[in-house]
Amino acid sequence: MPRLISAFSGTVGFGVKVGLLSILNALAAWAAYVLIDRQHYIALAVLVLATIGIDAIYFAKRTLPLKFLVPGVLFLLAFQVVPIIYTINVAFTNYSTGHVLGKNDAITQIQLQSLEAPPDARTYNMAPARDKDGNLVLLLQDQMSQKTFVGNEDGLKPISGVKANAFGIVAASGYSVIKGAKLFAMDKQLRALHVPVGKSREIQPQTISTAAELEPTLRYNARADTFTRISDGRVFRDNNAGSFTHGAQELEPGWKAAIGFKNFNKILTDKQFRGPFFQIFLWTVVFAGSVVLLSFFTGLFLAIVLNKKGLRFQRTYRSLILIPWAVPGFLSVLVWQGLLNDDFGVVNRMLHLNIPWLFDANWAKVSCILVSFWLTVPYFFLVSMGALQSIPEELNEAAHVDGGSPWQIFRRVTLPLVLVATSPLLIASFAFNFNNFNNIYLLTQGGPTQPDQPIAGSTDILISYTYKLALATGKGNDYGLACAVSIVIFVIVATISAIAFSKTKALESIN
Amino acid sequence: MSAISAAVDRVRARERRAPTRKASWGRDWWRHAVGIIAAGFALFPVWFVTSAAFSREDSVSGTTFLPAHLTTKNFKQILTNTVPDQGTQSYVDSHFLRWILNTVGIAVVTALGTIILGALAAYAFSRFRFRGRRFGMMFLLLIQMFPQLLLIVSIYLIVLNVGDIFPVMSLNTYTALIVVYLGGSLGVNAWLLKGFFDTIPSELDESARVDGATPAQVFWGVVLPLAAPVLVVVGLISFISTLNEFVVASAIMQSQDHLTLAVGMNGFIDQKYGQRWGPFAAGVLLAAIPAAALFMSLQKWLVGGLTQGAVKG
Repeated sequence: MPRLISAFSGTVGFGVKVGLLSILNALAAWAAYVLIDRQHYIALAVLVLATIGIDAIYFAKRTLPLKFLVPGVLFLLAFQVVPIIYTINVAFTNYSTGHVLGKNDAITQIQLQSLEAPPDARTYNMAPARDKDGNLVLLLQDQMSQKTFVGNEDGLKPISGVKANAFGIVAASGYSVIKGAKLFAMDKQLRALHVPVGKSREIQPQTISTAAELEPTLRYNARADTFTRISDGRVFRDNNAGSFTHGAQELEPGWKAAIGFKNFNKILTDKQFRGPFFQIFLWTVVFAGSVVLLSFFTGLFLAIVLNKKGLRFQRTYRSLILIPWAVPGFLSVLVWQGLLNDDFGVVNRMLHLNIPWLFDANWAKVSCILVSFWLTVPYFFLVSMGALQSIPEELNEAAHVDGGSPWQIFRRVTLPLVLVATSPLLIASFAFNFNNFNNIYLLTQGGPTQPDQPIAGSTDILISYTYKLALATGKGNDYGLACAVSIVIFVIVATISAIAFSKTKALESIN
Repeated sequence: MSAISAAVDRVRARERRAPTRKASWGRDWWRHAVGIIAAGFALFPVWFVTSAAFSREDSVSGTTFLPAHLTTKNFKQILTNTVPDQGTQSYVDSHFLRWILNTVGIAVVTALGTIILGALAAYAFSRFRFRGRRFGMMFLLLIQMFPQLLLIVSIYLIVLNVGDIFPVMSLNTYTALIVVYLGGSLGVNAWLLKGFFDTIPSELDESARVDGATPAQVFWGVVLPLAAPVLVVVGLISFISTLNEFVVASAIMQSQDHLTLAVGMNGFIDQKYGQRWGPFAAGVLLAAIPAAALFMSLQKWLVGGLTQGAVKG
């Protein structure tokens, strides 16, 4: 590799280093510019410190290990460590559909949404326009009286010289009416433009050519931090959980607020969640456990049967058995979904059965295990094959000579030796299947749905349940609860892994 | 002791008298029965998908053991994105070749990045003794237990919010998906690579250093070429897991032409087994055959690597 060496030697190597760092710094400068523009100063500080740190590391002499570690660690921090921290953070909030904004934004939204047209409200034809100084104003024509006005944030003024036809206002002296694409681009600005009239009413654009007089139905009291409903005087207070409430009534939207252990409490005590959660947890354990055990013993059995020296077609059997492992798993699962289809699936027709493989709660569970079993057997077949071949021939012979029956030899000699080699893999496979999202979600989507359960299906495992809680569309997304479930899953998987590591002695190789 | 060696001698003698020939069919019939049943079970879906791919039937209900009329129309339809959408007179919005291209592109870039990032970190852990080394390795081990799958909610929210500021990294971009994958790669691979680097004698590094090579030269010119086999394994594991990854890709990618194969095919067949089964089966064959061939050809290397850590499901 002399060429590679020369690429990193002396001046050339230095040039490469300076080049890469220049690109990095240029990117950082651009990012900093954007962040300043958007006024994200904390992110800016992090960015500047990180860039200076990286530059320092690569130009200093005594930071050799860091030079090798920094690239990987940066990605690890950004997309593994930060998400972990963020997950923990969100788990203690009510972040969900309807609780996305900050509190101040939520108050503004509530005020906006509380605007309603009173019975005697006037409606106007409207044309957005710019005055002589270029300020945005609304040209308005009362649809009843045909009187014309100009309105801005300061209020409403009658004017004359407005030309209107059947389609609305077309021109006004002293103003240039905004038209066409420019008008559509102003959608946001227009919606924010309110023209106050009278004591509490204001005129708001309804479409790009009409406006209406609206009146708030709620009044915000900034000092007391409450909303009062004007019609009946009811007071809505901050409930410390991200909403203004009065009894069971809640104002929409709420905001993102810290709510302590409420999400975890929900999982453990709330009837609506506790039931499905424990049921799902149990099924997750049953699923992962039975897939691993069935696959392991089947794989071991196949390996023992086919591991005979000189067996004809041995290699052929081996290759064919390995096929399910070689095909990308998600394709196989999707194919199985078609084959198991109860109306016209191949399995039912070939076997002359009429089993609702995917639409009955219990049969769907069987299908999940069956398909995962099909996918996992080859792995354990291969692993057992390796383990069997590493057992010295003499051991079996000695046991045979000592009068052991084949079953005794298997039970007392072969199995213990195979288990020594494979038990770490069994635990790892259990942990893997514990979170085997693909095999469940691509086969049944966690379904069939259960009566009186909006989200949890009969075959949902914890991870697919979390996914649905967080991202399933149509039912509202509860990010906070989903993060809390993620943390619970982590604790469970970490416990399993801790057992695995104490068995594999992986830690010994640290030194 | 003498009893055992006598027994072993007796067995050996018996073996000499009856030299092992190719085992006969008669005694091993049950082994063959087991082998045939196992192979049949493994091949069952493969057989029917192949049959469906070459069949004129569009519904899974028309799939038979052998197709009644051989045709390649399913392949044409899926490759040219002209799968008829029943009831609408138009074509299904699918981009099969694009999905494959997306997947391979994302998987290759991710695999290369994974190799480089992993090798750099593993080299530091293998060769240098520095403060925080032990902590760093333990940390990686711990991090590995919190897979990105569990972090999907916060990864989605982070990409959503970051993308709002930096459009290159927003939802529905390849960059976002790749950097997220790269973030999850280090925990899995650094240990595997470090184990291999430990087996390369450090005398090699030292002699190169004595000859005047810089640490960067030693790494790129001496150690990496020697580690090529394990780098291939790491790259392949990464490639396969990216290929199979569904959750992160489905959360980040949104428009049809940006999807990966896993997300695209799932959306394509979604409850439409009565209408799109034929073209779907053709797509499965087209995607699975090269993937399986690649996997089988590198299988020997993989087994060693997999038994040391990762599991493929």
